[in-house]
Amino acid sequence: MSKITSSSTAEYFSKNLQQVGFSSPVKAVLTTLKEAVDNSLDACEQENILPELIILIKRKGKGASKNTDLVLIEVEDNGPGIEPELLPKVFGEYLASSKFGRGQCTRGQQGIGISAAVTWAQLTNAKGVRVISKTSRMRKAFEALIDVDIKGNKGLIREKDTIDWDKTHGVKVSFEIDGRVQLNGDGGLITYLEGTILVNPHLSMRYKLMDNDWVEVKRVTEENPEIPAATLPHPHTMKLGEFITHARLFGNISLKSFLKTGFSRVNDQAIGLLKKAGIKAKILDTSVNKLSEADFKKAFQVIQDAEIQSPSTKSVLTVGEEALAKSIHRLGEVDFFSVVARKPKICDFKPVVVEVALARFIQRGSEEDQIQVLRFANRVPLQFDKSACAITRAIETVNWKSYGLNQPKDSVPYGPYVFAISIVSPFIKFKNASKETIDSSEELVEEIRLALMQAGQKLSRHIKKEMREADLERKMLHIEKFGPILIDGLARITGAGQNRVKKAKIGLEKILGRDTKDAKSELLEAQTRLSQLKVRENKKFGGGEPETEPATEPDANGQTPLQEPAPEAGSEAIPDAVIKKKKAEKKEKKSSPGKRK
Amino acid sequence: MSKMIRIRESGKDIPKMAKTLCETMLSDLEDSQRPVLEAVKCSLDNSFYNPKVGYLTPGKKKVLTELNVSSVQKMARVVYMLEVLLRNLQYGNVNTKRELYYIAKGMVKSEPVLKPLDFEGQEESDSIIDFIGDMLEVYREELNCFANDRGGQTYSQHLVVTETLTDGEKAVIDLSTLGTTPFQPKNKPQALKLKAKKKLKFCLVVESEGTANTLVSNGMTKRHNCIVMGAQGVPSNGVRGWCKLIEEQLDVPIYFFGDLDAYTIQNIFRTLKAGSAASLIRNKDFSAPSVRFLGVLPEDVEKYDLHCYPVKESDPVEARSLKKARDTIENDPFFHDKKNKPLVNVLKWLIEKKVRCEQQAFFSVDPKDPLKPEKIIVEKIEKGIYL
Repeated sequence: MSKITSSSTAEYFSKNLQQVGFSSPVKAVLTTLKEAVDNSLDACEQENILPELIILIKRKGKGASKNTDLVLIEVEDNGPGIEPELLPKVFGEYLASSKFGRGQCTRGQQGIGISAAVTWAQLTNAKGVRVISKTSRMRKAFEALIDVDIKGNKGLIREKDTIDWDKTHGVKVSFEIDGRVQLNGDGGLITYLEGTILVNPHLSMRYKLMDNDWVEVKRVTEENPEIPAATLPHPHTMKLGEFITHARLFGNISLKSFLKTGFSRVNDQAIGLLKKAGIKAKILDTSVNKLSEADFKKAFQVIQDAEIQSPSTKSVLTVGEEALAKSIHRLGEVDFFSVVARKPKICDFKPVVVEVALARFIQRGSEEDQIQVLRFANRVPLQFDKSACAITRAIETVNWKSYGLNQPKDSVPYGPYVFAISIVSPFIKFKNASKETIDSSEELVEEIRLALMQAGQKLSRHIKKEMREADLERKMLHIEKFGPILIDGLARITGAGQNRVKKAKIGLEKILGRDTKDAKSELLEAQTRLSQLKVRENKKFGGGEPETEPATEPDANGQTPLQEPAPEAGSEAIPDAVIKKKKAEKKEKKSSPGKRK
Repeated sequence: MSKMIRIRESGKDIPKMAKTLCETMLSDLEDSQRPVLEAVKCSLDNSFYNPKVGYLTPGKKKVLTELNVSSVQKMARVVYMLEVLLRNLQYGNVNTKRELYYIAKGMVKSEPVLKPLDFEGQEESDSIIDFIGDMLEVYREELNCFANDRGGQTYSQHLVVTETLTDGEKAVIDLSTLGTTPFQPKNKPQALKLKAKKKLKFCLVVESEGTANTLVSNGMTKRHNCIVMGAQGVPSNGVRGWCKLIEEQLDVPIYFFGDLDAYTIQNIFRTLKAGSAASLIRNKDFSAPSVRFLGVLPEDVEKYDLHCYPVKESDPVEARSLKKARDTIENDPFFHDKKNKPLVNVLKWLIEKKVRCEQQAFFSVDPKDPLKPEKIIVEKIEKGIYL
């Protein structure tokens, strides 16, 4: 029989880095950056510091592995700093997180990510991570190179030094890894940074990616998000094995005490319910260390069937509509947008909050492309495997056509829009350890769907107004274009003279002039409704970015005063900008006709 | 150019009708009144079926197009296309719809003032031509607009076709001299006269042109005094007019042989026998009410244990065909008539069994006998196993 050996956690992950986001050179760069940024943001928020990050990504040469570059990834923050003695634990030890299993809405949850990044650096470039750290108590900063001791699952500290650093506190990490840099597209670094900027309105950031110039993004709110206290899991969210393991962590206490201290929503009243439902008092008073598996199973089954109060929603944080509305303008010039922050809700016995921002940018995307979907879980962008995600599933199930968007059946809609959907929960269920896809339970998909529909309704006000404008423009153009041709054609067939033609043209203008009045009043109505919405949004967001567009009132004759005087009866002018924009759109859309017999 | 052969004796003077219509429109405009164009509503909800008449006829519903900012483009295009068609009628020119689309584009090119009328695709000019036909209640062929028809490949040892050419000359085609090459009727079958050298027993219209050719290659027309024709799917105007001509000029029963599925019964057979809702004003001359449905029938499936394909409701296309079959039973006046109840029963059988059987399944009955399909068909005709 072969010898059975045991491996350390670090050993396991060093052989299975693909499970935690290091499955390709491109993903390795993104995941390393992501882990460093997540840690910086979590550290700042925990100490109520408004985060300021400096990010540098640079190609340093050829990588040691085939078809890779040696890429430098530097992330510098103004966080509280890490005490030197804790550095090996933070960067070099797996599952050594302060966040593990705490039920808090932090980005990191398990304490795997940054150690995995150090392992990748070590495996591909024989060097771990170079860290500079300074806490407010330190006069000089501490610098060191940290490696992972893969056999022992602990951090090894090398090349220690103390240096002068002009920061009062903070951490700077420098990784040199084998990887490939992808800037654009779903899995690109720019997409990641833009997503991070969007859902962190309190974040200021300077970044330089490869040969691009430095980009500076300033925060749009001076308030740090309030991180709710950690919450205990709800008993209905666990499986039997998890339940037993969870119990063992509590040592020599009775089942009753374990249930009351280890779970949320289990109080004396709930214990009474469990007794009535069939758990014997004797079992409830027995130490969890002495309970047999059969006892656990029986108790577990009763608990699952019992009507225990739903978990509290106080443990979830929200970005907020106002902050999202301000933040979205940092991604580019916004044509129009709509944001919706749902109230926290219980889905699958877990508190969840869904927030949605839909925006159309002036210089982003086109009618022929699918919309850009930005997915977030606990404010971390999700960039891979989108088709299996609950968010994508929810987008596909909404009928976007009714909001004026082009959508193939059961698919993501088309158009120059960005859909940003954020899910925040202390217990997000991912499909894999690399946290790229949110598991799509029916309840969660429905909650996301509702948020999307609310945002879609707001968006449709803008789109409908545009459609009315286009309609009015079309009608105006029709009169000018087709009227004379129609009459000339009739005159040629009937052999009518110029006098009759002139008379008919006057008659035609009279008829069509009446129609344009109706079209204008429809446009006015759409404009008014949109203005009302914008006023409401402005009030809500404290007079932020959204521009107001006052509706023009009809004059005494019921005519809408437009920007330019009417050139002739029955064919008043419409804003030039609208015509130019539409003409440009039409020109683009024109395509050659398909051949048919 | 010589005088064209008339498609029918409708007594309609199209140029005069068009001129009167335009005169009314112009007068309305002079009086600041909105001109209105009126056309027959060509849809199922305006279709009626009387078995004594034999084809779908239009009801009283009309499509009214009143001039407003939205319809001014359509009206200008109607007048523009009408001018082109009237010129063709005046000089005896004929065109296909595709050619008319290009003629319209050419005119726009030469006269920039007409630019707004330019058609972006052929479907736009087609719909205007159809509207003019429905408005004047005339056939497109009467507007000298002919289709590039497909299908109708015909084989017989006893059929002689005489075509009157535009210059008055007559061309005589004896189909027995063509071997396995089919005779294909022109898109204006009204110009043809038919004669049978011997008394014909039947005319078989086969949905698949390939199968029709196989039957002839195996000697069906030699063994039987008959006509075999390939429909090539949904019958074109040419095929429909040709069947009508055979029905009228030859005293011969016509049978249709095609797949056992809802599409064949609703779209192919119904169109051949009673016309379609889209062509209500022309069904009279483009349907053959005496044609019978020979199969494949559900009883053939059972008798010969024919291979069937399942119709999956999980497949959106197939699910739609089942839904369409249900809708047809409910809404199609042709299937409401009690004389067509046996066809409705077949549709119900298809909906219930959720299967379809192809005409070529007859080749599986006795794979070693290439004549087996022919034998089954002839036996069915002789024993009256058809609907």
